[in-house]
Amino acid sequence: MSAYILRRLAQMAPLIVGISIVVFALIQAAPGGPEAALLSSGRFVDPSVVEAYRVKLGVDQPVPVQYLRWAMTVLTGDLGVSYATMRPVTEMIAERLPATLELTASAFLVAAILAAILGLASALRPHSWTDLLSTGGSFVGIAMPVFWLGLILQLVLGVELGWLPVSGTHTVGASTLGDHLAHLILPALVLASRYVASWSQYFRSSLIGVLESDYIRMARAQGLSESRVLFVHTLPNAMAPMISVMALGLADLASGAVITETVFAWPGIGRLFVQAMFARDYPVLMGVLLMGAVTVIAFNLVADVLYGVLDPRIRYE
Amino acid sequence: MTARAFNACAAAATLATLAAVGCSSAPPSVDRAEPRILRIAYDREIDVLNPFTSQNLVDISFSMIEGLITTNERNEYIPVLAAKIPSEENGLVARQSDGSVTMTWSLQRNVRWHDGVAFTSADVCFTWRFVTGANSMTYNREQYLGIKKCETPDAHTVVFTWDGAYAYYAGLFEAILPRHVFMKADGRTEMTVDEIVNYEPYNRGRRTIGTGPFKFAEWKTGEYIRVVRNDDYWRGRDVPAMDEIVWAFIPDNNTRLLALKSGRYDWGRIQPTQVSALRALPGSDVHLIDANSVMHFDLAIRTDLGKALFGDVQVRRAIFHAIDREGMAKKLMEGAVKVAEGPINPNSPYNNPNVATFPYDLAEARRLLDDAGWTLGPDGVRRKEGRRFSFTMINRAGATDRILLAQVIQARLKEVGIEVGFETLESAAWTQRWRSGQWEAMVSAWFLPADPGITGLYACKGANNMTGFCEPALDEVLERSDRALSFEARKPLLDESQAKLSEQARMLPLYQNVMPEVVSRRIVGYRGSGTNFGSFWNLWSWELVSR
Repeated sequence: MSAYILRRLAQMAPLIVGISIVVFALIQAAPGGPEAALLSSGRFVDPSVVEAYRVKLGVDQPVPVQYLRWAMTVLTGDLGVSYATMRPVTEMIAERLPATLELTASAFLVAAILAAILGLASALRPHSWTDLLSTGGSFVGIAMPVFWLGLILQLVLGVELGWLPVSGTHTVGASTLGDHLAHLILPALVLASRYVASWSQYFRSSLIGVLESDYIRMARAQGLSESRVLFVHTLPNAMAPMISVMALGLADLASGAVITETVFAWPGIGRLFVQAMFARDYPVLMGVLLMGAVTVIAFNLVADVLYGVLDPRIRYE
Repeated sequence: MTARAFNACAAAATLATLAAVGCSSAPPSVDRAEPRILRIAYDREIDVLNPFTSQNLVDISFSMIEGLITTNERNEYIPVLAAKIPSEENGLVARQSDGSVTMTWSLQRNVRWHDGVAFTSADVCFTWRFVTGANSMTYNREQYLGIKKCETPDAHTVVFTWDGAYAYYAGLFEAILPRHVFMKADGRTEMTVDEIVNYEPYNRGRRTIGTGPFKFAEWKTGEYIRVVRNDDYWRGRDVPAMDEIVWAFIPDNNTRLLALKSGRYDWGRIQPTQVSALRALPGSDVHLIDANSVMHFDLAIRTDLGKALFGDVQVRRAIFHAIDREGMAKKLMEGAVKVAEGPINPNSPYNNPNVATFPYDLAEARRLLDDAGWTLGPDGVRRKEGRRFSFTMINRAGATDRILLAQVIQARLKEVGIEVGFETLESAAWTQRWRSGQWEAMVSAWFLPADPGITGLYACKGANNMTGFCEPALDEVLERSDRALSFEARKPLLDESQAKLSEQARMLPLYQNVMPEVVSRRIVGYRGSGTNFGSFWNLWSWELVSR
C-alpha cells in the first residue's frame, strides 16, 4: 500500500505541471488583460498609465516567458504577488481559506446527513411515494441553478420573513456565535443542495444494489433482524462507492464555491477567484487554480486508498 | 430578544443539521445610546488603500483621506484642506512673462494627521512628487505633469508653477499623502515611487492615515472595511456625529438589492433598472443622483466597415434620427432619466443647450439614407455598392441597462433598413476591444469630473477617443478651452465645441445618467453628488438619528 501511495504521489508532480501549463494558457487566451481593472471604474485613465501598468506587471512579455517566470516563483514556494492588491497570493488565499472551509464543511455535513436520510428512505421502499418524492426532489435539486435557489431563499427567508441575514458572515459590531451561524445557514443550505440531490441518488442505487445481493438474502434467511441486516451488512458495503463520490465532491467544494460565495457575499476562495477573473489578476487565478488542482488530485488519492480500506477485495499493486 | 433575533433562532432550530445556533444574536440597535454605526452595502471590493493607486477606492477613501478639494452636490469644486481655490479673480493665479502660471494655495491651519503629526505644505509637494513619478500608477497622472515646480514658502502655503495655463487645475489633488509615513528608515529620505506604491502598511491599513473625519480601524478582506470616528478632527470636536462606518462589500447587484431590502443597511447604490423594486422600501428613500455621465451611442470609423458605413455625416444623422430617445427615457428607464443633447451635464453652466438635436423621425432617417445612396434591398436591409448596411454592436456582459438600450437601438434601426448584430463580451474583453478600436458601435458612458473638459474624449489624439473621428478645427477650439482659466474665456469655447460635436453627429447622447442611491431616513446631511468623487464628500457632517 505504501509503495502504491508513494508512486501516486510521484505521479502528481508531472500532472500538476501539465495542469498549470494548460490553465496558464487558457487564462492568457481570454481576451483582455489586467489593465481592465484600471478602466473598469468608467473614469478617464491616461493611456500612458495603462502601458506603464502592463510593463510593470510584465504582461507585455510573451506568454511562455510569463509562464516560466511564474513557474520559477512557484518553485521557490511562493505563488507570486497579486496584480490588484500587490500582496502575496499565498497570504490572500490563506486569508480566504477559513471562510471557504467553514462553509464547505457545513455544506458537506448538511449534504451528507440529508443525502443519507433521503437515500435510505428511498432505498428501503423503492418506487413508493417516499422514493418518488425524494428522487423527484433530487432531480429538481440537480436542475436548479445555485444562484437562483440562493436568490429565492434570500428573498423569502431573508427579506420577506426577515428570519435570516442575506449576506456576509456576521453583523459587524453585534456579532455573536448565533449571529454568525445565522449567516451561515443560507449559504450552507444552498451549497449543500446540489450535493444532497446527487449523493442521495448515488446512495439510493448503491443501497438497492447491496440489498438485492445474495449475501443479504442469506442474512435474512438466517433470521437476522432487519436492523442488523441494514446496519451491519448493508450500509458498510453500500458506503464504499460513496467514498469516492463524496471525496471528489469535497475537493470540488474546497476549491471554492464560486457562485454561492458570490451570491451571499461570503468572503471565501470562490469570491476571490471571481474578483481575480474580472480583474485578470493572473497570479491569484493561477494560485487558486493550482490549489484546486492539488486538492482534487489529493482527494482522488485519499478516495482510492479509503476504497481499499473499506473493501478488502481491492488490492493495490 | 428582538423579533428578528427570535425568528432567526426559530428558523435555525428547524434545521436539524445546524441546530447548534445560539439564540443570543441581536441585530444592530438604532438606539442613540448604542454606537452610531452607519452601515453601507458597498458595490465593490477595494484593492489597496492608497487613493492614487487604488482603482476603486473613492468613497471609502474620502471618509479617511482628504484632499485640497472635492466636489459638492452641485458639481462645483470646493476647498477641503485648501483654504481657498486659487483663481485669477482672487489673485491667487498669476500669468508670468515667460508663459508659466503660478498658483498659490493657502492651506487650512490646525489640521493634524490621524497620528497627531501636523499636516503641512510639505505633504502637498510630496504628493505631487509621488503622483508625477514615472510608476505612480495614478489614473490621471498626465494632468499633473504641467506642474513644473512645487514650493512651500511656509507650512501653510503651496505655490505651483505650471508650464502654461491649464483649465483643470482645480480638480487635482483630491487626496494628500502623509509624507512622514513614507520616509525611509533613516527618517530623512523619502521612499521612491515604487516603494510607496508597494508600501504594505499604508496599502493595507496599518499605517493608512489621513486628515479626514474617520480613522482606519479594520479591513476584513472580502467582507468589510470599518472606520471609526476621528476625535481630533480639524473641523471641530463635535463632528463627525457618527461613531463608526462599516462598508460591507456586496458587489453582486441582486444580493445588494436584497441586502438593502432586508433593512440591515443604511446606504447602498443600486442599478437604474432596480429603482422600482426599492421605491417603497420602508424607512428609506431612493435618490436619483444626477450623474456627471451621459449614456450615449458611439459609432466608430477605425475599421474598414465602420468607415464605409459611418464615414458620411448624413448617414450618422439618419441613424440618430431613427432612435427614439424619449421612449428609452420614459419607458425603458421608467422616467428616471432625462434625454441628453450633449456630453456636458445640463446643470453645468458650461452646457450649451443650443446645439443641433436629433428628434425621433423615421421619415427623416429614411430620406437621409436614401439621399446618401443606401437603398432598400430585397431582404429589407439597405445596400450601397454591393455592401449591406449591417454592423455589430459590442455589449459588456452584465451591463443590463446598456444591453437593453442596445436592443432598442437594434429594433429601431431595423425599421429603417439597418441590420444590427450583437457581440457580448465579458468586461475585460470588452475593454480590450474598445481600446483596440476594432469595433463599429456601442452604448457607452463615462464618469466625468466636475470640470466639463471633454478634450480627452473628442480631440483627434484624445486619450479616450477610440472612435477614429478627427476634426482639426474642433481640436483647435478644445485646446484653447483647456488653456482658458476663467469662466468667461472658457464658456464660448466649450459652447463652440459642443455645437461642432452635434453638427458632426459624433455620437448620440441618449440620456443623462442617474445613480440611484438608497438612503435610510436615519441619515441626516446626505447630499448626493454625481461626479466621479461620489456622494461621500460631506461625510463629516452626516448624522444618524433614531427612526
